[in-house]
Amino acid sequence: MIRVNTAQLAAGPPRPAFGGGRLSGVARRRRVALLEVLGATVWCIGGYHLLIEPTRRLEVGVSGAILHLFGVSGISAALGNAFIVFGPQGPMVAVLTPSCSALTSLLALSALALVVLRERSQALTGFLAAALWVLAANQVRLLSSLLAGRYFSLDTLLWFHDWVGAALNFIYTLVGLLIMIALTMHTPERAEQDKAGRHTARRPDAWARPGLGYRTELDSLPPPPRIRPVSLIHRYLLPREVSRRLAALRERSRVDYRIGHLPPDERAEAVRALAERGLAVHTATLVAVATNDDDERVLDTLADVVAARQWEPASDKRILGLRLWARAWLMRRQAGDGSAATAGAANADAAPAAKASPSVPATGTDAAVDGGDAVPQADGTPPAARLVAVTGAGGPAGVAVIRALQAAGERVLALDANPDAVGLRLAGEFAVLARADEDGYGDELLRVIDKHRPAALICTVAEEYAALRAVVPELDERGCRTWIPSAETTEACLDKARFADVLHDHGVPHPPTARTAAAALAELPGPWVVKPARGRGSRDVVYAKNRTRLKAAFTAVPSAIAQTQLTGREFTADVLIGRDGQVLTCVPRWRDETKAGISVRGTTFDSTAVTTVVAAAVHAVGLTGPANVQGFVGAPEVLDSDPDAEVGVTVVEINPRFSGGLPLTLAAGADVVAAYLAGILDPDAQLSPLTFLPGVRMARYFAEVYYTADGGPLADPLALQPAP
Amino acid sequence: MKAVAVPADAAPAAPAHPATGPRHHRSRLALYAVLLGVAFLIFGVDETIYTISFALNLIFLAYFVRHLAFAISGARWAERDLRAANVGFETYTPPVAVLVACKNEELVVDGMVSALLNLDYPADKLTLVVVDDASEDGTGARLDAWAAADPRLRVLHRQPGAGGGKSGALNDALAISLDGVPADVLVIFDADHEPDTTVLRRLVRHFRDPSVGAVMGRCVVRNGMESHLASTIFVDYLSGYLVNEYGRQALFELPAYGGANCAVRTSTLRTLGGWNPDTVTEDTDLTLRVLLMGQRVRYDPTAVDFEEAVSSSQRFWKQRHRWALGHQKCLRDYWRPVMKSPHLSWIDKLETMMFLWVYHVPVLCGVGLLFSALRTIGIGGPAPNTLLPLSVLLFAGPFAELAVGLLLGRVERRAAWTLVGFVPSFGLAILTISKAYLDGMWGRQYTWVKTARTGGVTTAPATSPPPPAPAQPADKPAQPADKPAQPAHRPATPSREEPRESAQPPAVPGVPAGPEPPFSFAIRPGMAA
Repeated sequence: MIRVNTAQLAAGPPRPAFGGGRLSGVARRRRVALLEVLGATVWCIGGYHLLIEPTRRLEVGVSGAILHLFGVSGISAALGNAFIVFGPQGPMVAVLTPSCSALTSLLALSALALVVLRERSQALTGFLAAALWVLAANQVRLLSSLLAGRYFSLDTLLWFHDWVGAALNFIYTLVGLLIMIALTMHTPERAEQDKAGRHTARRPDAWARPGLGYRTELDSLPPPPRIRPVSLIHRYLLPREVSRRLAALRERSRVDYRIGHLPPDERAEAVRALAERGLAVHTATLVAVATNDDDERVLDTLADVVAARQWEPASDKRILGLRLWARAWLMRRQAGDGSAATAGAANADAAPAAKASPSVPATGTDAAVDGGDAVPQADGTPPAARLVAVTGAGGPAGVAVIRALQAAGERVLALDANPDAVGLRLAGEFAVLARADEDGYGDELLRVIDKHRPAALICTVAEEYAALRAVVPELDERGCRTWIPSAETTEACLDKARFADVLHDHGVPHPPTARTAAAALAELPGPWVVKPARGRGSRDVVYAKNRTRLKAAFTAVPSAIAQTQLTGREFTADVLIGRDGQVLTCVPRWRDETKAGISVRGTTFDSTAVTTVVAAAVHAVGLTGPANVQGFVGAPEVLDSDPDAEVGVTVVEINPRFSGGLPLTLAAGADVVAAYLAGILDPDAQLSPLTFLPGVRMARYFAEVYYTADGGPLADPLALQPAP
Repeated sequence: MKAVAVPADAAPAAPAHPATGPRHHRSRLALYAVLLGVAFLIFGVDETIYTISFALNLIFLAYFVRHLAFAISGARWAERDLRAANVGFETYTPPVAVLVACKNEELVVDGMVSALLNLDYPADKLTLVVVDDASEDGTGARLDAWAAADPRLRVLHRQPGAGGGKSGALNDALAISLDGVPADVLVIFDADHEPDTTVLRRLVRHFRDPSVGAVMGRCVVRNGMESHLASTIFVDYLSGYLVNEYGRQALFELPAYGGANCAVRTSTLRTLGGWNPDTVTEDTDLTLRVLLMGQRVRYDPTAVDFEEAVSSSQRFWKQRHRWALGHQKCLRDYWRPVMKSPHLSWIDKLETMMFLWVYHVPVLCGVGLLFSALRTIGIGGPAPNTLLPLSVLLFAGPFAELAVGLLLGRVERRAAWTLVGFVPSFGLAILTISKAYLDGMWGRQYTWVKTARTGGVTTAPATSPPPPAPAQPADKPAQPADKPAQPAHRPATPSREEPRESAQPPAVPGVPAGPEPPFSFAIRPGMAA
């Protein structure tokens, strides 16, 4: 016996007592079911008392008529509700007792048909067939008993009555029930699964009711019946107008599943054509589209035509449902995240076209003047109404992402803890948040999301991931999607000591690492680089050429680690990894010149060895999404002539976010921002690999934005004036 | 690739389970016999049998009303539920861990894993853990090959003698594989189950309600074509899930957590100390413990997975014997806590007790039939015809449920005649469940008996399984292969358009298994612009 811990019992508050105040939903449903059961009971008892005598007389009369028909003598039905049987032992009266009547079985079947099957169109046919069967079978039972009494003895009649009759009663009632059920069930051509559970209706996946048949190869579909009585009635008996009106009535509640098999464009056109004939004509099909379809073009079309037909009388309550749905759909679209579900890939395709637009600003300064408003597409179509939030708007990665999104025609909501962060002035909308390591970050972020309703959020600061991860479910609920790596992966990237362990464990080339000065002196050859285990942007990085400086560095640098200073040429690779772990692109670039950890001059290059080691490194930490991998290449000069040369590659660190040098990767043709956004908006999207052009060079310069103390814009005095 | 071996003596990290009580109830059986004898002496045999028969008829009447009410609720509302639109399907995706315990499941494990890998859920919020419970066939090796091919899959190997059956395997997964893994919800499947792609989203959406501790989905038989028995079980499942379980939710908010294709809140399970290893029906046991701690179980008829029905009568009755044994034990273990629970209203307690009594009713039917047989020889009263109402009540309720199940499932009408097969099965159920009752009361020790599979029908995506690695000896758990072959089901990595002579990437020692990276993403001379 389990002894339940009383502490477990007290884990939650007691449920409110049942029955207090108004009835709950479950109590109402229970009441409906109980009333049905009571109704069935009243039906059976009342029917029995009202009908038993007439039924007995009817059954006696029918039995007498049958016996007379077949010329059986010696049995008379003259008494009305009993027989006189002239058996071998003399005449006797056999009373047809209530238990011998078929009435109880008929009442039970009718009660089941009434309370359980009454909403099924074939239930009445099923019940009538079952009733005929039961009446006939009971006649067989009665006649068998009477004949046994007529030709054998009274005991035989009683034996038939008590035993064979009772068994027959049970069997024919059961068979009657089966007849009723079978005729109420669906014909093979209307059913959705066969008797083995295979799906036979060929419904489109998204439109089929869940679990009605498993999908497998069918040997053959049941052939349609050659003759349909209903068709004959419509063709030869009913007036054409009546037949037409009945067909129209039927069409309103029939779902045209064929539409579900069409490609989206054709589906949208079919929906428009159906709706334009009147919402009341193909209502069931239109409701099925709103319920099951997941293609935005189709749903947009449906919402538009429903909106256009608001003059139409709401003659069916399903039309009201369609209007409510269309209202919510159009409001969501207007709010900016209506295309979140599936438009990601389409947007990724549209991005290059937008970038080619002559109206796209060439510099960040121009973008600031534009105020970050959505840029018209190259073909002149209105800009996408989608809003994307970007955190870390003050950093170079944030600025690069903001500009990339704007170039792709997206609207941007810039977020940063610093009210003077430059990215806030580049974007069309912005908000200042608490720092991610402060209390209230999550609440503040959700408040901003509630206000602006962005469709997606891109985080460009890896240190924010932990705080952001805590509110991802709430963001999802608000229709704001994001994509951040797991806590384990983030930690492995941010903690350089742990990062070294992971890479060494996976055999990915990484410089030997020591956590103390003594260990560094004993195990690592110099010169050394000493850096904080958690740090970014080359802050607190010290290069130590001798033992004294190494020891001093360990006292100056918080939570320091030491690594042997690498030789070779430093590179950064911008990578994008799909949710399935597939590396979608790897764009290595030389860090020709850096300032404060940011690459200000660089050149893209191609190397099989670098790509392979970078992929191994991101797999080792289990990363998905964007990242930049930094490392060194030994003997880099051979790559100029042979990208497949086997050069030594060592990974130094991975930042699980976009890099500050992102513009160079974008310029080289790998639009990682658009692909990442597509992956955020549609987690199931099959993102395509991105290629890039090696040898693209970047030289950066400062740009400025100007604003007043209260945040108002100021003109750029250095901006080129348009020609008169 | 993540595969972990669990030594046989590994201490479970889960908190201790509630202590188990006496292993047998022979004294109670003796007490029943004595009470019957005393009643015979005081009131006489006829009067006693008549009174007991009358009481039995009342019990059958109560169950008939319950079945009929479920049939009515299913007929009224279930079809609309199946058609209703999904709300907030994409926006609520808490971290989920899927757990599957496998023991000698070589025939079905590929379909199961393939279906798991095809689940529609954000990859960064999904952890897949399959426990190889000391399989003696190629299950472990196949799982290792799958795990090596797909980093999303974690495999945990248990050694022979680890104990606890399915509960033990799941508890190990909870303690070891999910240690430190963020998982708000655990979703459980059996090895022969192949979930529909949307099942996770459908199950987890109910956890928006903080009072929900567990959610049950709907199991559908996928091998009905294999045998008459399987097609009969297919019909039985339609009734059980679309009518009975649905009715329990619609009328009482008390559906049962079923052990497979179901989800449980991780914090709830940890509070309860994991699955109970001292029961052979850990699902009913957990249902009761969730209710007793004040949380609720929900049922989603649209969260579907496809399972394999047993295809031989012997396997079927073994399985039902186990279910009966475990369910009857739950009644003995929990009826007192249920009656005392402050979290259940009186009607909740009534329904829960009727639910717990379900596997005792066939035993009472056996008693009723025995009394009827005695009456045919003049003991206990002269009227054998009074058997008839009893028979009708026995059959009418379940048949009403079966009929509604067939209608809701939109099955073709030929399947109605399958119902004939249920008549003799009721008789066999009386025998099997009565034997389980006596086994339980007598204290016969039950050991887990694995349900044999055929693996003949699969609904999983048409992907090739990984090449089977050689089976490991029973006393040595399979270990992951260092360099597994690339499975056929993986999508091809993007290849360059330019043919290359040197197509082998440079060897990188220790590069972890995973999707092979392309050699380079750069546009090189000769490539199409």
